[in-house]
Amino acid sequence: MIRNDNKQTMVVECEQLTKVFRKLLAGRSKDVCALQSISLSVVEGQIVGLVGPNGAGKSTLLNLMAGLIFPTEGRVSVCGHPARSIEARSGLGYMPEHPAFLGRYSAWATLRYHGALLGLSRQTISAQIDKLTEQLQMDEYIDRPCSDFSQGMKQRLALAIALMNDPSFLLLDEPSNGLDPIGIIQLRDLLKKLRDAGTAIVISSHRLGELEKLTSDYIFLYRGEVVSFGDKIAADRVGRLHVGLVSNANQIAKKLLSPAKLLNSSETELVIAVGDEDEVPDIVSSLVKGGARITSIQLQKEDIEDVFLRLYNERN
Amino acid sequence: MRAYELMKETLSRKIYIYIVHLSWFAIYGLFFTLRVHEEEKFHQILFIWGGFFLPLALSAGIFGDDISSGRICVVATKPFWLGELYIYRLLGLSLQAAVHFFITGCLLLIIHGITGLGYIDDLNSWLFCSWLLFNTWAAISTSISVVVKRAYNFVFLLAVVLFFAFLNSSLGWNNPDDTMTKVISAFGKYVCPPFTLLTRMVEGEYSKYSLIVGKYSSIKAVACVTHTLILTVFYSFFGVLLLSRRQFACSRE
Repeated sequence: MIRNDNKQTMVVECEQLTKVFRKLLAGRSKDVCALQSISLSVVEGQIVGLVGPNGAGKSTLLNLMAGLIFPTEGRVSVCGHPARSIEARSGLGYMPEHPAFLGRYSAWATLRYHGALLGLSRQTISAQIDKLTEQLQMDEYIDRPCSDFSQGMKQRLALAIALMNDPSFLLLDEPSNGLDPIGIIQLRDLLKKLRDAGTAIVISSHRLGELEKLTSDYIFLYRGEVVSFGDKIAADRVGRLHVGLVSNANQIAKKLLSPAKLLNSSETELVIAVGDEDEVPDIVSSLVKGGARITSIQLQKEDIEDVFLRLYNERN
Repeated sequence: MRAYELMKETLSRKIYIYIVHLSWFAIYGLFFTLRVHEEEKFHQILFIWGGFFLPLALSAGIFGDDISSGRICVVATKPFWLGELYIYRLLGLSLQAAVHFFITGCLLLIIHGITGLGYIDDLNSWLFCSWLLFNTWAAISTSISVVVKRAYNFVFLLAVVLFFAFLNSSLGWNNPDDTMTKVISAFGKYVCPPFTLLTRMVEGEYSKYSLIVGKYSSIKAVACVTHTLILTVFYSFFGVLLLSRRQFACSRE
């Protein structure tokens, strides 16, 4: 469970979710268990980052939440309704990894088409299109056929489609694919605004640096299993204390530090693993008492990429 | 609004839809004026070409393209019953065909009026029956499109038709009085798309069994039309069922 604050409304809830792709239907040589007994929940105004290597089950989890595929075991509910139900889909915005459109339709016609599918009135559709065109800066190509679109334009249009109904739950699969740096910043700002307005957002992305700027809630998936949740990842984050010494760093390290704590050492520098910032004064004090002549100290916290790499390496 | 967009999409989704319509008009015009066959046979050409080949061409990939491109994944997350997607697309095809056959009739009448070529007796009845046949084949082809890729849609249906035609004729040739032959023949006549039924109806063959005298017996004609519409609904039912039950994996990791 990522977070389950009673004051906040639960938007998505997955219980013991298992998905097996049968060999006959999937055209594979054997059954593939894409997800195994996953339980999680997302509340309103929360952004959750789905991270994991290729084949971890991120897209499968998104597809299950969107009601596009059925779970083999367990259940998914969106706003209290089964994922595939019309009620669940009424508040859902979904952006796939590879958005596809009718090549002959312009961006405007595509948005009108999806607005009509949502059951919006003609006036609402026009108003939404105007708003989204401005928000996502699509003015220049709103009347151009989608077949002429670059990857970045497609991404913006797909995001606009996902936002047509002002969703309470947004599923985004690699939303920043193909976006230029300005587009990425705009996307980030937009998602923050949506989060502040109460939209629950689940993002699957390989751009961990981008995710880190949006959220501290992660689900790390590995081979269909949840390896670590957001809070745990934050708590497990290891800091690196770089201590510069005049000399004899190796000898002092052997004398004072356990091998598990010592990440790296040279004649003039020690790199020490730190679980908590409060440990730093004690470490420095013990080094000084042990005869170390310190020239510099720098604490470097692990970022999400380091955590991802560490968790991945631990499992390989 | 939703119905309108879904029906309109069947026409505007690909440029080749327009090319198909224009090509078919050209083909009708050629057969109508060149007298390649006996004049009376033209109507049967119209019936087969417009009632069988046209729906296969127009409905190929109507869902298959969406599924293989992943477009269906966004459509399927919208809050409406997925059966609507099928029904409105089929209605879109049916409406397209109605306009297609209306234009065909007008074109042929104009050609006949100007050149005096062609045979226009019973033309409206043949056009109406072609439209009915179109609907049944469009329903079958659209249903198959939910599970089969565009490339296999046409080939699959053609193979099934040829297989049935071969089976029916070979059994009928060898054992015309055999029970199995009669069962297969009845199956072909009443469960498969109603080629024979509609042809006989429009040729006036049912009039002799009818309570109402005349070439186009009202009671039999209504029965044939109703039967055809029931078959269309029957074939559509499977498409709706398949669409609402199937899974759409957008990107497989």
